[in-house]
Amino acid sequence: MAAASGSDLSSEMEVDAFRRLFPLNFHERHLLKSIRPDGRTLGKARDTIISLGAVTSANGSALTKIGCTTMLAAIKLEVMTPTVESPDDGCIAIDFHMPPICSPIVRPGRPAEAAPVVAKQLSDTILSSGMIDLKELSLVSGKAAWMAYLDIYCLDADGSLFDAALLSAVAAFSHLQIPVVSLNDEGRIVLISEDNGGGKLEKEPVNKEKRKLKLATIPFSLTCILHKNYILADPTAEEESIMETLVTVVLDSSSQLVSLYKPGGPVLAQTSAIQDCVALTRQRLKELQKILNEAISDMEVD
Amino acid sequence: MEYVNPEGLRLDGRRPLEMRQLRAEIGVVARADGSAVFEMGNTKVIAAIYGPREVQNKSQQINDQAVVRCEYSMANFSTGDRMRKPKHDRRSTEISLVIRQTMEACILTHLMPRSQIDIFVQVLQADGGTRSACINAATLALADAGIPMRDLVTSCAAGYLNTTPLLDLNYVEDSAGGPDVTVGILPKLDKVTLLQMDAKLPLDTFETVMQLAIEGCKAVANYIREILLENTKQLEFRRGV
Repeated sequence: MAAASGSDLSSEMEVDAFRRLFPLNFHERHLLKSIRPDGRTLGKARDTIISLGAVTSANGSALTKIGCTTMLAAIKLEVMTPTVESPDDGCIAIDFHMPPICSPIVRPGRPAEAAPVVAKQLSDTILSSGMIDLKELSLVSGKAAWMAYLDIYCLDADGSLFDAALLSAVAAFSHLQIPVVSLNDEGRIVLISEDNGGGKLEKEPVNKEKRKLKLATIPFSLTCILHKNYILADPTAEEESIMETLVTVVLDSSSQLVSLYKPGGPVLAQTSAIQDCVALTRQRLKELQKILNEAISDMEVD
Repeated sequence: MEYVNPEGLRLDGRRPLEMRQLRAEIGVVARADGSAVFEMGNTKVIAAIYGPREVQNKSQQINDQAVVRCEYSMANFSTGDRMRKPKHDRRSTEISLVIRQTMEACILTHLMPRSQIDIFVQVLQADGGTRSACINAATLALADAGIPMRDLVTSCAAGYLNTTPLLDLNYVEDSAGGPDVTVGILPKLDKVTLLQMDAKLPLDTFETVMQLAIEGCKAVANYIREILLENTKQLEFRRGV
């Protein structure tokens, strides 16, 4: 039996070798003592850092790190004509990329399996959470509106990709500044640069000053792994590859459930397990709100 | 348009023989065997090395040396207007090839037979000189991965506008339509491994511009050596030596 042979050899083997050869055994021995290989307790997430304004050429951007998982999000605004059915609505396009630098498993030429899955999850979560009112992206009703292209690049994939991506998307939107534009004589929208803002303007600007989006409720998420009767919050890539049952819970700032995602997996969960995941997410929500608010106020001081 | 004003200052306030500010950091991608971020002014590039590892496509395996693969891609938001197709367009494929051949020349591939070294470069912000920044970042990342090399490879570009040779062009100067000479050298061995130029230039002016670019490469090499030395000191400190 694998467990028996593991324990026979463990006394003679080095820790690193044991970790590579019998990974499940290695992790389970830690779980018995309610701890994980990197020293965290089962319900604790890794250190999270948010840095706003990482990409200077974009209208809004953020770099987030959860442990080693790094995500860079940037928003670029372009003017487009709104659809006939909703002439007062702008549009948001969300794209998630996993370039080959992020992980040894990603091969150039073949996109990572996780990339389109996370992209779709992100898109659904952000649009359905009601964080952004598309009417705020409107310029001239029926003629012009903003199209916001949100591109998220994973620079280092070490587990919990969806959590880090959602956090970076939310941070980028809270950093987004809509530039000042005006309608020129040919009926087209032109960007007013800050240099000639002092001079006489041909026409009245459509929006007077650079403004930020009003975000209604901000969604935050936590991914947990279920293994036997343990619940591990914020898994690393190594944990995700061994214990495959993931549950992602997304809550908004008023602790209401936005989304719940459990895509199969070998462990069948009882409702109590799901409720425990939601409770862990609620704790994480408070931590993340604090970190995001600190990052925003740091930016404003600058 | 005036690229060098009568006082001898360029559009961003630099002198004609002045390089942009360099900034580099090693070990930024935890999962990669070696990685580095390299900034030349506003151009910001991240390189990651995976290898030597098993060849993924057995048909490409070479029995007496390592296979070197390279992919260059730009982030959608890296340029002024959002790019629609950042990978697999002609420019990206050409630059991937150039970087691969440049690095392959200096990696001691015969020491790692039947294995593969992957060089991935991602441009996060593009403001002219991305090719050079990528090569410099790849050199640092290879050093971080501990892959044996003949020498560092450093690269820098120079141009000729308003009858003045200019070092390290940014995007505005690059798109002015003047010549753009990109040089990659092995600084200790004093050999040129990459030389590319477009647009017309008389031969004696070309000599001057190329010399200028080589000086730029040597300056980058000094900076890279400082960074690597600093990194080694940090490692020694952490190991308690």
